[in-house]
Amino acid sequence: MRRGLMAWDAAELPIEVIQARQVKLRSIMKSHRLDAFIAYTNISHPAAVSWISGFTPYWSEGVYCVMPEGTPAFATALSKRVAEWIGTVMPIGEVIPTPAPGTAIGKRLAASGARRVGIVDLDDVPARQARAILAEVEGLELVDSTDAFNTIRCDVDNAERALTARAAAIALSAMQAADWKAVCMQALIAPCEVHARRAAAEDIFLSVAPNLAANGRFQRTDTATTLESAFALRMSLAYKGAWVRVIQSHTRDALLAAKFASAQTAFNELMPSGDLEAQTRKAFEAVGAKLTSWFIEQPRGSSPLVAVAGSSMSTSTYRAGAPATLNVECDIDGWRWLASRPFA
Amino acid sequence: MPSATHKARLAALSETMKAQNVDVFLVIGNNWHADYLRYATDFGIQEGQGIALVRADGSTTLMLDDPTECERARAEISGCDVQYAPQLVKEARAQLMRSGNRNVAASPMHLLPYGLVNAESDVRFADGAPVIERLLMTKMEVELDCIRRASKLCDEGYIVFRDAARPGRKDYELVAEMEGFFRAHGIAENFMIIGVGGKEVRGMAPPGGKVLKAGDLVTTELSPCVDGYYAQVCRTLVVGQASETQLKAFSVYQEALEAGIKTVKAGVTAADVARAENDVFRKYGLGQYTTSEYTRVRGHGMGLFLDQKPQILEDVDIELVDGMTMIVHPNTYHPDAGYMVLGDAMVVRPGGHELLCGLPRDLFSVSAH
Repeated sequence: MRRGLMAWDAAELPIEVIQARQVKLRSIMKSHRLDAFIAYTNISHPAAVSWISGFTPYWSEGVYCVMPEGTPAFATALSKRVAEWIGTVMPIGEVIPTPAPGTAIGKRLAASGARRVGIVDLDDVPARQARAILAEVEGLELVDSTDAFNTIRCDVDNAERALTARAAAIALSAMQAADWKAVCMQALIAPCEVHARRAAAEDIFLSVAPNLAANGRFQRTDTATTLESAFALRMSLAYKGAWVRVIQSHTRDALLAAKFASAQTAFNELMPSGDLEAQTRKAFEAVGAKLTSWFIEQPRGSSPLVAVAGSSMSTSTYRAGAPATLNVECDIDGWRWLASRPFA
Repeated sequence: MPSATHKARLAALSETMKAQNVDVFLVIGNNWHADYLRYATDFGIQEGQGIALVRADGSTTLMLDDPTECERARAEISGCDVQYAPQLVKEARAQLMRSGNRNVAASPMHLLPYGLVNAESDVRFADGAPVIERLLMTKMEVELDCIRRASKLCDEGYIVFRDAARPGRKDYELVAEMEGFFRAHGIAENFMIIGVGGKEVRGMAPPGGKVLKAGDLVTTELSPCVDGYYAQVCRTLVVGQASETQLKAFSVYQEALEAGIKTVKAGVTAADVARAENDVFRKYGLGQYTTSEYTRVRGHGMGLFLDQKPQILEDVDIELVDGMTMIVHPNTYHPDAGYMVLGDAMVVRPGGHELLCGLPRDLFSVSAH
């Protein structure tokens, strides 16, 4: 559940930016012969509605609908009082508080005469909502338009770049606030969390790989406590809908620490372009680290960050120029070393 | 080996699956609704989405669409075959198809993906509510232990919240203090909303950047989660000395909470508790403030989901039974003072209740300087 700062600031996300995104959406509606476009949102699938409208839910679910003209509608299962709050944090959209969002949007579609409607991530949308929409309009066709949406979604505007940069800055400074001398996970992450939320993070998920000698699996503090001699801290952080991930590894072994630090410096200085794998491998080799695996994440459809390319993926949908997170695993003198950071 | 809590849950689930003649029980979850997935697999999902298939013989497959979550599940839980499934819905559908045409139930139905039910297959999903709803509402002793520990952290947490509240602080900075406190105590999840201001405030929401000032009412509900189980507490404080008007208004909430709590025992309905709370408001001519125009519910169940059944409303006739856990909270708007909250958590018992909250039911106040 989101519980950090949730506010719309016109200086950060001008209404004209949202309008421009909706113009792009309407252009693909036209080129794909769609009478309307729908996106579903909840806490785990907020990205599409967040991009189209500037709004992220802290709880519950909703359906956002853009017609060829007029103000888009957002039907949500939240109460009338919460709808008033949504009105203050969603720059464009008429809020419809209703126990049945799908039905409310279906009625709007029926009134508009829509017959062919695009939708993001159709397979993942709760059947209750999709069926409610279909039930309101005889012969309505729901078309999975995720690929079409992703083409405009990857065309990143300056507002998104700035929000992502702010998220990255908060995440990196929060990493510095972690108590790296701590012997237990709780003590390691608590100051990190406080720092990030004081700096206005909308949400933050922290987990720790407590023993890099054993494996690189991250755990939450409710299932593990002790930090071994080498460990890694992972942070997923959102600032006003823009998500980033950061991972940093740490060791108490002085000799190894110097090598970890060199690898981190090489990673920080990496400016990915062209053949990413070759470039990354070379950068790490120069400091005695062997790249064992890597992957890149970017926003796609309704998911904030999804693996789009990597050493274990046969195809790549990575879009250069759009905000991305690079995740790597290296071998340093037989020790696992993990890192992740955002880049554009 | 599965934890003691999970072992007990699996045994209970297996029994109800048998009673309902269910061969495969499909549960879906995400960070909003993690409860069903947690019950069946013990995994507290944080990012992405997950689907688990629990079979009658107890074998369970957990599919997750996030690779890091998948590795976390492998580290944190046992007794499940954990699989990375970037095409989650397609993979779940394929596994169901491979298992043949059997009696499949699913929960929660409101999250069941369109891609599962719209496939060209002969898999039909029965509503899994009869299999799991009662289990989620009525807790076993091992589950109650978790909720008791969470309640203790509610009490301690509220003191941290109160001490952090002072003029000049932003609402999200208060949340930061709380989250730091909970993380330091190993609590990975918490739900909290907040209200700051005067009579213009109509409810609680996520923090929006408001700065606390003298005279403000600060409302919050804290809901830390221990081993998947949430407890909750609701309290109100005033920045500075509470006014006579604020104190008089708050006394209605104190009386309503007491009336609601007195009513709680096995055998009464959720409606009985709501009526007891609302009657106090009606007695003072404040009946309209008990309606959905001003308030959502007068309390609710809590457990693996923090806002689970039964919702405490005058039209909910669910009978309270021994072992249910709930919060009674007559939170609403008061025309003279603004939005106020007050709520205590408890376990339903045959002759009454076991109160979990140890905080005074006061209108707290903090220094305005």
